[in-house]
Amino acid sequence: MNSRNVGGSSNNNNNNNPNRPAWLQQYDLIGKIGEGTYGLVFLARTKSQPNRGKCIAIKKFKQSKDGDGVSPTAIREIMLLREISHENVVKLVNVHINPADMSLYLAFDYAEHDLYEIIRHHREKVNQSINQYTVKSLLWQLLNGLNYLHSNWIIHRDLKPSNILVMGEGEEQGVVKIADFGLARIYQAPLKYLSENGVVVTIWYRAPELLLGAKHYTSAVDMWAVGCIFAELLTLKPLFQGVEVKATPNPFQLDQLDKIFKVLGHPTQEKWPTLVNLPHWQSDQQHIQGHKYDNPGLYSVVHLSQKSPAYDLLSKMLEYDPRKRITAAQALEHEYFRIDPLPGRNALVPCQPGEKVVNYPARPVDTTTDFEGSTSVQGSQSVSSGNAVSGSGVAASVVAPRPVPRPMPPMVGMQRMPGQGMTAFNLASQAGMPSGMNPGGIPMQRAASQAHQQQQMRRKDPGMGMTGYPPQQKSRRF
Amino acid sequence: MAANFWSSSHLKLLMDQEEVDVVHSPDKERGLTLEEFKYIKMHMANYIGKLAQFVKVRQRVVATAVTYMRRVYTRKSMTEYDPCLVAPTCLYLASKAEESTVQARLLVFYIKKQLTDEKYRFEIKDILEMEMKILEALDYYLVVYHPYRPLSQLLQDAGMTDMTHLSWGLVNDTYKMDLILIYPPYMIALACIYIASVLKDKDTTAWFEELRADMNVVKNISMEMLDFYDNHKILPEDRVNAIINKLSLKQ
Repeated sequence: MNSRNVGGSSNNNNNNNPNRPAWLQQYDLIGKIGEGTYGLVFLARTKSQPNRGKCIAIKKFKQSKDGDGVSPTAIREIMLLREISHENVVKLVNVHINPADMSLYLAFDYAEHDLYEIIRHHREKVNQSINQYTVKSLLWQLLNGLNYLHSNWIIHRDLKPSNILVMGEGEEQGVVKIADFGLARIYQAPLKYLSENGVVVTIWYRAPELLLGAKHYTSAVDMWAVGCIFAELLTLKPLFQGVEVKATPNPFQLDQLDKIFKVLGHPTQEKWPTLVNLPHWQSDQQHIQGHKYDNPGLYSVVHLSQKSPAYDLLSKMLEYDPRKRITAAQALEHEYFRIDPLPGRNALVPCQPGEKVVNYPARPVDTTTDFEGSTSVQGSQSVSSGNAVSGSGVAASVVAPRPVPRPMPPMVGMQRMPGQGMTAFNLASQAGMPSGMNPGGIPMQRAASQAHQQQQMRRKDPGMGMTGYPPQQKSRRF
Repeated sequence: MAANFWSSSHLKLLMDQEEVDVVHSPDKERGLTLEEFKYIKMHMANYIGKLAQFVKVRQRVVATAVTYMRRVYTRKSMTEYDPCLVAPTCLYLASKAEESTVQARLLVFYIKKQLTDEKYRFEIKDILEMEMKILEALDYYLVVYHPYRPLSQLLQDAGMTDMTHLSWGLVNDTYKMDLILIYPPYMIALACIYIASVLKDKDTTAWFEELRADMNVVKNISMEMLDFYDNHKILPEDRVNAIINKLSLKQ
């Protein structure tokens, strides 16, 4: 280790913030919208022309924890983002470095929605499936972006609903943007298995060849994930919700495979010739070869007729053999996209006049955080964060133009929940006690802010407050 | 685009020789000539190669690091960006970009162990600070294409895989010049094949004609390489030291 302060987070160094970098002056901070192992994501508005008032998502990377400068994840993400440009891929608009704490900031065009929120909103609030036009448009645009990436030899490797963003009101309304390239790679050279690099990603969207121990990635792993996402758009439920085995390195995820086999049936060597070469299949330590699964019935799980083009496309995405799995380019040509309703650019507006428009909630914003990620105490924030949010409702009105969550007072301490707060939230939500959402007993506006807070928490840990979402699915990446 | 040179940042960043051969004013004020400027860059390319052997990274990482270093000096002066620190930091950054991260402390350890000269000695924090300055100087464009891949493909196509070793070595030597900043990597590969075929007395005229590559460019690159072999094969240590002292860095 070196003499540098490697353990201390930026919070300690910069709370009072005399070194606030000059470039931050070009933005008005609105609040924090996400958090992950890499760092934090903020929402901000551009102060100066020509983009005055434009919303920007700023992803802040912490210094890598081993005291080794700018984190390699950040380096690789910038590296790729600097090269790619496509309507259905998130756009990097700026990069900034703060030498004081070696943190790196990536500024993106802000997308107000993501598939995670859209699906959740339908499941919990609308109680009605997403309309066909929207599903098809979202899927088509996702495939279009993915086709661009794959034809440029980039594998995303971590596709999941929360990484698929959708633009809110404005010129690009309803346009899909694939986000989070922290794990994406150019695959000129064979790519090692992710967990060999010590990376943890959610297993629900992981392709069977990876679960069975394939050492290298191909673009087919992204197509499997798209299949899972397609099914989730149709049913509003994750298709294969396995319980993750936590161990290093690269544990065998029996439950996830079990969930897949139950729906798709047992893989066979006839259908998937290279199956026998896969390490976990070969070793058969958990007797996966011996299991027998009856009644494979993907169509019944997703409520589609076996003859429908939608079912045909989905089953081609969920093909066991990665070499037979449909590619993004082939999928875009599929009959499903040639029949009514045809996919469109604005996925959020139904093509049928008179059809009900769903107003999706804006991304929840924690307005009590400054750019350093420290939650400021009420009253001091306008000083430390260099903007005048202070719970006046200005911020919320910008990000929530629709009549959804109302401006809320700064929730002192509400966002700090790791540690002791975590268990409390989990218990409360499982017991279905909404009042338990405020374990600290802090007074706050009821009704309106409750849903909002629940979302806040989910940013930290999707497992919380969501029945059916096991708490181990932690990483939400942007 | 990332894996396609024709839509990459690398292509857009290619410069003319005249643009590359600019001694920045702070350096000029200290009396640095163009020849000396090139000399230092060559020396630092060698230094990066040497360090890479200690920390055991592939040639590709070295090539990327040297490219970063050369790109930095198209924008920044050596007075402000001490080459003795820029060189190891470029290797450090390239190792991250090429997914074979080398720890800063390991790099510092080898520098201290192998080089007794005070002006090469830096602490970890110096490297980490310079890393950020280099990222900014590179404008965060980090994907670099190299002649190695096109070289193998072209040799295969020409049925001259017996020349792989020789031409690979020639490609390595191209990083002692600014060629990677000026020409597309496949052109550099072609020039290396051209020189190799001349050295080995092989007639490749028909193959080159069939390729319809711009032979003027191939010959320009080849001339510069041959010129390099004539003039700069050995870098006298005292000459390098004299130039670096002229910049009077580290004070």
